[in-house]
Amino acid sequence: MADVSLRGVRKSYGSVEVVHGVDLEIKSGEFVVFVGPSGCGKSTLLRMIAGLEPISGGDISIGGKVVNDIPSPQRGIAMVFQSYALYPHMSVYDNMAFGLKLAKTPKDEIDQRVREAARILQIEGYLDRMPKALSGGQRQRVAIGRAIVRDPRVFLFDEPLSNLDASLRAQTRIEIAKLHDTLTATMIYVTHDQVEAMTLADRIVVLNAGRIEQVGTPLELYRNPVNTFVAGFIASQRMNFTPVTIEAGKLVLPGNKSLTLTHPRLANVRTIGIRPEHLVLADAANADLTGTLSVIEQFGEYALAYVELPSGDLVTVKLDGAPDLQLHQTVHIGVPPDAVHLFDEAGRALR
Amino acid sequence: MESNPATSRLTAIALSFMAVIWVSPFSWLILNAFNPLSTGQLEIPRSIGLDNFALAVSGNAGRQFLNSMLIAAGTATLSVVVGISAAYPLSRLRIPGRNAFLWTLVLLRMLPSAGVLVPLYFAAQRGGLLNQFGVIIALTILNLPFTLLLLKNFFDTVPIELEEAAYVEGASLFQIVTRIVLPMSRAGIAVVWFFSFTGAWNEFLLPLIFARVQDAFPMSVGLYAAFGQQGAINYGFLTAFSIIYAAPAIGVYFLLRRNMNTGFAGVGVKG
Repeated sequence: MADVSLRGVRKSYGSVEVVHGVDLEIKSGEFVVFVGPSGCGKSTLLRMIAGLEPISGGDISIGGKVVNDIPSPQRGIAMVFQSYALYPHMSVYDNMAFGLKLAKTPKDEIDQRVREAARILQIEGYLDRMPKALSGGQRQRVAIGRAIVRDPRVFLFDEPLSNLDASLRAQTRIEIAKLHDTLTATMIYVTHDQVEAMTLADRIVVLNAGRIEQVGTPLELYRNPVNTFVAGFIASQRMNFTPVTIEAGKLVLPGNKSLTLTHPRLANVRTIGIRPEHLVLADAANADLTGTLSVIEQFGEYALAYVELPSGDLVTVKLDGAPDLQLHQTVHIGVPPDAVHLFDEAGRALR
Repeated sequence: MESNPATSRLTAIALSFMAVIWVSPFSWLILNAFNPLSTGQLEIPRSIGLDNFALAVSGNAGRQFLNSMLIAAGTATLSVVVGISAAYPLSRLRIPGRNAFLWTLVLLRMLPSAGVLVPLYFAAQRGGLLNQFGVIIALTILNLPFTLLLLKNFFDTVPIELEEAAYVEGASLFQIVTRIVLPMSRAGIAVVWFFSFTGAWNEFLLPLIFARVQDAFPMSVGLYAAFGQQGAINYGFLTAFSIIYAAPAIGVYFLLRRNMNTGFAGVGVKG
């Protein structure tokens, strides 16, 4: 266990800066998830912490010690790669023992640690197999096992689940959560999947274009996103954004219905955001938005209705159960004022 | 097309005739080699024995076999060692113009080796390398362009993430190469070794020029020199010698086939 702190960490390739001064404190034992779209610098950041990528500026410290110039093996980290990176010419046992053998660990200690890790991950039965004889999920466990045997202070995961199919991904996600609970190690986890971020993280770090947009617990990000980027990125159904105008202290929605809302800086509001699960169906008399149903996706337990407003904007509404709606029918939507997020011209949230 | 028995029989006879002509040199070779009283005619031997082979592996001929082995194995091993040391950085480092460099080398290799024989000879003479060691070095140099190209392509298929994983686990560069990259490129290394081996085994010109004493001749040169020795041609000896000379090529063929099936780079990644 160790805390990790980044101070003004930068990375440039030639004259192109891809990470612009990241500051972050990760507490010992915390599970932190870096999330963001492709090319946001999250993997680069992780590789800099791992020591696989030199940093161009700032300081990275692990356990209170600056590790900028300390080579990877001495940083007390273990990394799980997206592609698993198992050595194909070695058995599962040898894959897991590789690092310990290099460190000249006594043979019976290697054996004990490999078997302990195999027990935790329930791969004791495959220790003699070669990686090619394993399924994707099993390979993933071996890759995690290889990290566990080294008893690192910090675990680094680089999109470890993205090569698994959906059901296996959900299952492995739960196992990683359990693992964090048993090992009480600091874990840094990179993903582009906001579901993984929401479910696994103690704290989420949302990155965009080489900058941190927001850091917070999953629920903080869900409830109080600081800008439209975070608001749009977090949660499984993307937030609806609607342009509004302000007239006589009221928010006017497209379609000329107005919302009664009080906010000290209401005049600055340009966009409102509302999550699909907070929108409700209404009747014509008290509807805030009205449009035609252009697509409906039925999931059984819930349905997603995509409603096209006269302005051409598409609004997603998440409805419980299996609502009886016909394609192209008129849909009236109610907007509960307390669920509305307000954003100014620059996309910053007004609280 | 209609086939009637008469024409198909004629075709069969014609094909058999072709086949006999085709295999007759091989039959001649084998029949004479196992005939202690061989006369150089294509005939069924009256007695069969291994006397010719005994002659072909003893004395001068035996020494030539060893010389050939030394040159071929030496060239193959040196090519692989030098090739690995040069191809790995070419595969991993972003050296500007590395591909242009490689292909230029290959282009140079396309020139017939006889064309560079004179400068090569004088360089070896100055360096005191007019011996088997000189032959090994010269052949290695001539082999290197293709060796480099082949090994670099094999190393390129080893995912960089495997090396990163090993590095994070504390492996030194030497350990990464010897424990991860080389075992995973086993098939490529085998191909390079065996091809260099056969190439050097078959090489005639360079050993002929470089090794000017009978003791240093490899089999290829020995075979040539054996014509007309002691005033007459000993066909039995010559044929047995030829068979022994050809044998390693066949052995290499089978070894190569076995090793080609073990390429498995890329298995450890993805699922």
